Amino acid sequence: MKRETRAPIQNVSIPEMSSRRDFLWRSGGGLGGIALASLLGTEKLLGGGILKDGLHHKPKAKRVIQMFMGGAASHLDTFDFKPALIKHHGEESDFGEHVEAFQNGLGPWMKSPFEFKPYGQSGKHLSEVVAPLGDVVDDLAFIHNLIGKTGVHSQATYLQATGFQDPGFPGAGSWVSYALGSENQNLPTFVVLPDHRGYASNGPKNWGSAFLPTNTQGTTIFPQRSNPIPDLYPQDNFVTQKSHREAINLINKLNASYSRQRPADDRLEARIKSYELAARLQLSATEALDISTEPDYIKKMYGLSQLNKSYPSQINIPEEVEYFGRKCLIARRLIERGVRFVQIWSGNDNSFPRRNWDSHEDIERDHGPLSMGMAVGAAALIKDLKQRGLLEDTIIHWTTEFGRMPSTQGSKGRDHNPYVFTNWLAGGGFKGGQIAGHSDQWGYKPLDRENPTQVYDVHATILHLLGINHQRLTIRHNGIDRRLTDVHGHVIDRII
Amino acid sequence: MDKLVDNDHQMRNTISNRNFLLLGYSIPSFLIFLMVISWPNGATAEVSFDKEVRPILTANCLQCHGPDAKTRKADLRLDLENTTKSALDEILERIYSSDPDHLMPPPESGKNLSSDEKIIIKSWIESGAKWEKHWSMKPLVRPSLPVLPESFTAWVKNPIDQFIAAKLDQHSLKPSPQTGNRAIIRRLSFDLNGLPPTPQEVDDFVGASKIDRKKARIELIERLLSSPHYGERWGRHWLDVVKYADTCGYDKDKLRPNAWPYRDYVINSFNQDKPYARFVQEQIAGDVLYPNTSDGILGLGFIAAGPWDFIGHVEVPESKIDGQVARHIDRDEMVSNTMNTFTSTTVQCARCHDHKFDRIEQDHYYSLQAIFSAVDRADRIYETDPDVESKRSKIDKEIQELSVKAQSLQAQIDEAGGKQLKKLKDNISSLESQITTGTKKPEFGYHSQISNSQNETKWVEVDLGKPMEIRRIVLRPAHDDYNGIGAGFGFPVRFQVTSSMGPSEASRPVLADFSKLDYPNPGLTPVDIETNIRVRIIRISALKLAERADDYIFALAELQVFDNAGKNVALKGKVYSKDSIEAPARWQKRNLVDGIFPQSKNQEAQTKLAELRSQHQSLLASIGAPEKLAEIDSINSSLKQFKSELTKLPRGKLVYAAATDFKQQGQFKPTMGKPRTIHVLNRGNILNPQHEVGPGVFPVFDGEPVSFNLDQFKSESARRAALAEWITRKDHPLTWRSIVNRIWLWHFGKGIVETPNDFGRMGQPPSHPELLDWLACEFRDSGGSFKHLHRLILTSATYNQSSRIDPSKAQVDSGNRYLWRMNRRRLEAEELRDSILSVSGALDKSLGGPGFYLFALEKTDHSPHYEYYKFDPSDSKSHRRSVYRFIVRSQPDPFMTTLDCADSSQSTPKREETLTALQALSLLNNKFTLHMSKRFAQRLKNSAFGMRDQIKMGFKLVTGRLPHPTELGSLTDYGTKHGMPNLCRVLFNLSEFTYLD
Repeated sequence: MKRETRAPIQNVSIPEMSSRRDFLWRSGGGLGGIALASLLGTEKLLGGGILKDGLHHKPKAKRVIQMFMGGAASHLDTFDFKPALIKHHGEESDFGEHVEAFQNGLGPWMKSPFEFKPYGQSGKHLSEVVAPLGDVVDDLAFIHNLIGKTGVHSQATYLQATGFQDPGFPGAGSWVSYALGSENQNLPTFVVLPDHRGYASNGPKNWGSAFLPTNTQGTTIFPQRSNPIPDLYPQDNFVTQKSHREAINLINKLNASYSRQRPADDRLEARIKSYELAARLQLSATEALDISTEPDYIKKMYGLSQLNKSYPSQINIPEEVEYFGRKCLIARRLIERGVRFVQIWSGNDNSFPRRNWDSHEDIERDHGPLSMGMAVGAAALIKDLKQRGLLEDTIIHWTTEFGRMPSTQGSKGRDHNPYVFTNWLAGGGFKGGQIAGHSDQWGYKPLDRENPTQVYDVHATILHLLGINHQRLTIRHNGIDRRLTDVHGHVIDRII
Repeated sequence: MDKLVDNDHQMRNTISNRNFLLLGYSIPSFLIFLMVISWPNGATAEVSFDKEVRPILTANCLQCHGPDAKTRKADLRLDLENTTKSALDEILERIYSSDPDHLMPPPESGKNLSSDEKIIIKSWIESGAKWEKHWSMKPLVRPSLPVLPESFTAWVKNPIDQFIAAKLDQHSLKPSPQTGNRAIIRRLSFDLNGLPPTPQEVDDFVGASKIDRKKARIELIERLLSSPHYGERWGRHWLDVVKYADTCGYDKDKLRPNAWPYRDYVINSFNQDKPYARFVQEQIAGDVLYPNTSDGILGLGFIAAGPWDFIGHVEVPESKIDGQVARHIDRDEMVSNTMNTFTSTTVQCARCHDHKFDRIEQDHYYSLQAIFSAVDRADRIYETDPDVESKRSKIDKEIQELSVKAQSLQAQIDEAGGKQLKKLKDNISSLESQITTGTKKPEFGYHSQISNSQNETKWVEVDLGKPMEIRRIVLRPAHDDYNGIGAGFGFPVRFQVTSSMGPSEASRPVLADFSKLDYPNPGLTPVDIETNIRVRIIRISALKLAERADDYIFALAELQVFDNAGKNVALKGKVYSKDSIEAPARWQKRNLVDGIFPQSKNQEAQTKLAELRSQHQSLLASIGAPEKLAEIDSINSSLKQFKSELTKLPRGKLVYAAATDFKQQGQFKPTMGKPRTIHVLNRGNILNPQHEVGPGVFPVFDGEPVSFNLDQFKSESARRAALAEWITRKDHPLTWRSIVNRIWLWHFGKGIVETPNDFGRMGQPPSHPELLDWLACEFRDSGGSFKHLHRLILTSATYNQSSRIDPSKAQVDSGNRYLWRMNRRRLEAEELRDSILSVSGALDKSLGGPGFYLFALEKTDHSPHYEYYKFDPSDSKSHRRSVYRFIVRSQPDPFMTTLDCADSSQSTPKREETLTALQALSLLNNKFTLHMSKRFAQRLKNSAFGMRDQIKMGFKLVTGRLPHPTELGSLTDYGTKHGMPNLCRVLFNLSEFTYLD
């Protein structure tokens, strides 16, 4: 489409879909099959959730923003302060048992290269590289005793993202979309903002819909690309704004006649609606992604005062701040407009030079800039949501693949630690300033090894606050009633 | 209200979205049934166990009283016919109990029986509690054809119609009229070849049908069945089920450049109408059952088709827990893929506990794992080239001769050296084995790039920053277990130490020269060089490299340079080198001066060893061995060359398949056919192994053992062969039902069983059980011929019905479960893409071969990036049929995914048909559709004169008919205003293009 005429189309008629849907839904049980089919068609089209009109209990939260640190962020250098490592720094490490590391060569105990100090009312210690989160630390609920299953990136990423360690399962955002649907029919229900450099382990399979309806899959948005959502705009000169608008009108006219000759096939009608919806999506998405209208103080808060400057080739703080901050700001704009689940990724694949959290070689070099970038954006997002009254019903979840070892690898890096790691949650009914579980003095395993927290518990708690009983959100697939939490999961009462 | 929502929710969730439509008719039929059993005359009606009782037991009782021994309560099983009379009486009493502690199911389970369900259980028990086998496990017997009322006889064309008519009659339904000729040629063309008919084909067929309708249809079917495009279309169905892709998935998502021969094998098998039993057997054990055939190996691509975790196999050894988990998950994938695909059984449910609903215990599941316990996924040869093979045997002969010559020279040396030499050698090797490193740090040292020639020169140097007086230079050899080398890894065989006063200094005095004779591998003994010179740069030049695997390198752990005060002035200095592999933390230039190097634990042995080695050298010199050794050296270098030529010879054509012998890749090693030991894992946890199990299957045939006789099935190939033979038994109740249900589903869009991968108790029962059994017998007895079954189905009146929805019939059966009409369907992603290519005149119909890319491929060395947004749609290599596209598992094609193509991470027995706004955006704006709009416009311009004719032709290409005057009017108006490319873009978005009546 020609540049100057790119603004999409506005004059399509918008029928009262939601009232029709509401009508059908409420009377669904009493209608015959055709009505059910018709209901199904529109439901699927609009991304309406199956629990939209009947949650399991009263919800505290309506939406989720999840931040996923690809490559495995070290709990020891960010949120889980370990004085013992300072005291015993450089001494030969003794885990009290044989430790199987992902790569060989566990060295002596290693303190964090970063300083920690207490913040907020709660006096929670944070590392200097996540210091911006100090302002909101009393809003964060920490879980320091999460355990994973393996130290293999792909399986661990799948486990935290989908609840299963092998491929073929829907992302958490897909489950939430399946249950709740969208609050805005003109935007996708589940949006994913990948790292601008590329995908983490498993790529889009972390947010695929698998056996759930396709419309629950995460829609990826790369804000810096000319087509941030694939196929949002026609990028070819022969299509003009006018030819595009009139094309939709003509398509719908011809398709309406096709549909009329084939009565009672609801899909054919729904297909016409889908073109109207597409036109509206073009409009809403463009508007939602346009941060130029944000006031300067907001841009500054998210670290976006100087956009589009060029950066050195080494990993550096300003670049990380800009890219993560931009995603946080867009996330806020999306949830304001009714998107149900936004997933923000930090970290590319595990290749060299490191552009993710997999700091086998040098914690300071990679974790420094990545943490600061994340913390500036995350802190801004929490403050911004709070000042808009949105934090109370928006859950923010910070997670990663697994933790990192308290001893060295090389001289400055840390190997994988699937035995313990940290998550934090904020907003949407989570109680700030609480800690749901601790790691041991080294940050090697949970303090109480018999009672660790697992991803199932975190998912169960998030669903609980959204008004969903995690045991009852199921779908049958290949003979098994599947759920996000498999056969596990307990709501973590302490932090809600 | 709560309650109501609750029930509603359960209903919605226990039935998948697709099956939701079924509710429309199943509720009324259920009500009719209830009326029968509560007939007022007091007589208890006969209750069908299979249809009525079992679903109640499955939904409400089996969780605690089912096949899973661990969760079974009160030792009561309600999935087998052995419930005692007293237990049955107790059940009856307890389901009606008013005491919540006594009531069954217990209130806390969240389950409760409706009063109607209780009545069913009651009537069943009172009428003698007759049991039936689950439908899919009943022996396969060809049912007799149903007798029909006369009103149907004119309609019926073959036995299929008889079964369909009987059900329609039972529900007071009538079939729809036969559909028109234009609709039927479109339906058949897509169904069999996945491509639209050309306008000429449509006209010819319509013409021929006017003369002899039946003959025209049969001829059309035969033409389409014998087209190679038949295999492309039907092979794709199969690839959906088996999770075929061209990358591994998981982290990194590495390419599988040799996966495609399996894809072509599937396509060819369909085209050849390969008997199904053989098709199955080749895919499980073709190497055993059909040795010396290409298809016998190619079929094994099935076992390797699914995802595979590169890191869990290549980077983590099997000795580690993570390595074992990865391999366990991998075997689970093989077992599930096999049993889901061929027997529609969800065996994977028994990985963590006995199957909750079907008779599959953990032991059965793990005995299936034992069948696949020796195979991995890797490239293997399926076909060789005779010319290459004759070259290979020539080189083999040369190698043989040269080796003999070298051995005889060595023997001469040994003889000359006598006892003394032998003793020295023995002592050296015994000392070598005593030398081990202490705790080894991960920073190994410097490592050059790999070379194919031993005589390439490599160098590494340290820059002290300024000229300094130095007294001593110490080279510390490296240690790496790679290829079993260990101490002295990469230490050069011949080398020089040179120096210079600065980077631009041309003069390089030699400080130590070891370039004339081979330097014996020093193990971990430091090589100490005394000197007294003022220098700035010290360089080690390797002139003859150390051997690694089939290649050569130069590696060094540490370079120390001591000044007069004994201080190591090289420490943390600047290191430069000709090249370096830079793979931190182990190997990088700066590790050469990091003060970290391996040291022998046994210093005494180390010193002694160095001494013996030097004695060894002098002895060899004294017996005149050096000339012979030089000769051996030259022979060895020729040998190297021959061997390298040998490795460069193509090993034959490769297919990514199940394999037990392949080139080791990191920690990923072949089993060489030795089965891994398989234990039952408590809760599927690798850290909680229980007893060991041998190979076997799950119980299907009464009274037959489920375990394979271990003596007979020691070898891994025999295990797979036995499984293949078991699955393809003529009397297997699951195999034949499973496949005919799939074929039916691929023709009608709906299976007779709606859960094609699950014929167990949690699956759906068949809508037409007799038809299913009849088809299964007919298919099996025809020799497992797909084409035979296609002909039967395609010539049936059932298939040829119109797809028009008759509201009065829809009242009775809205989901068309009983096939009172044909199902209208949307084209699948591949059909749609291929159609766009086809009508645009861009389609390249060539068959087979490596997959084409729909993305820009970048950064393949580590984690390949598949950049779809950088793809150029005008690239003609991509204008082939979609079945040949290179399928990326973790990053599936966004355009195809939006159109519901199969997800290769999971088995897709049936395509979803969703409708989303993103689909509209894709068909409007994707660069492929935009480019093809222009191509299409160009084609029309080249073939017709004037816009009206161009539009007419375009419309006919897209829909198979000419536009009506009003349609033509609107289109011409639009085309005049915006041009033909815009018009063609509209045509691609017509429902009539995307839907099939």
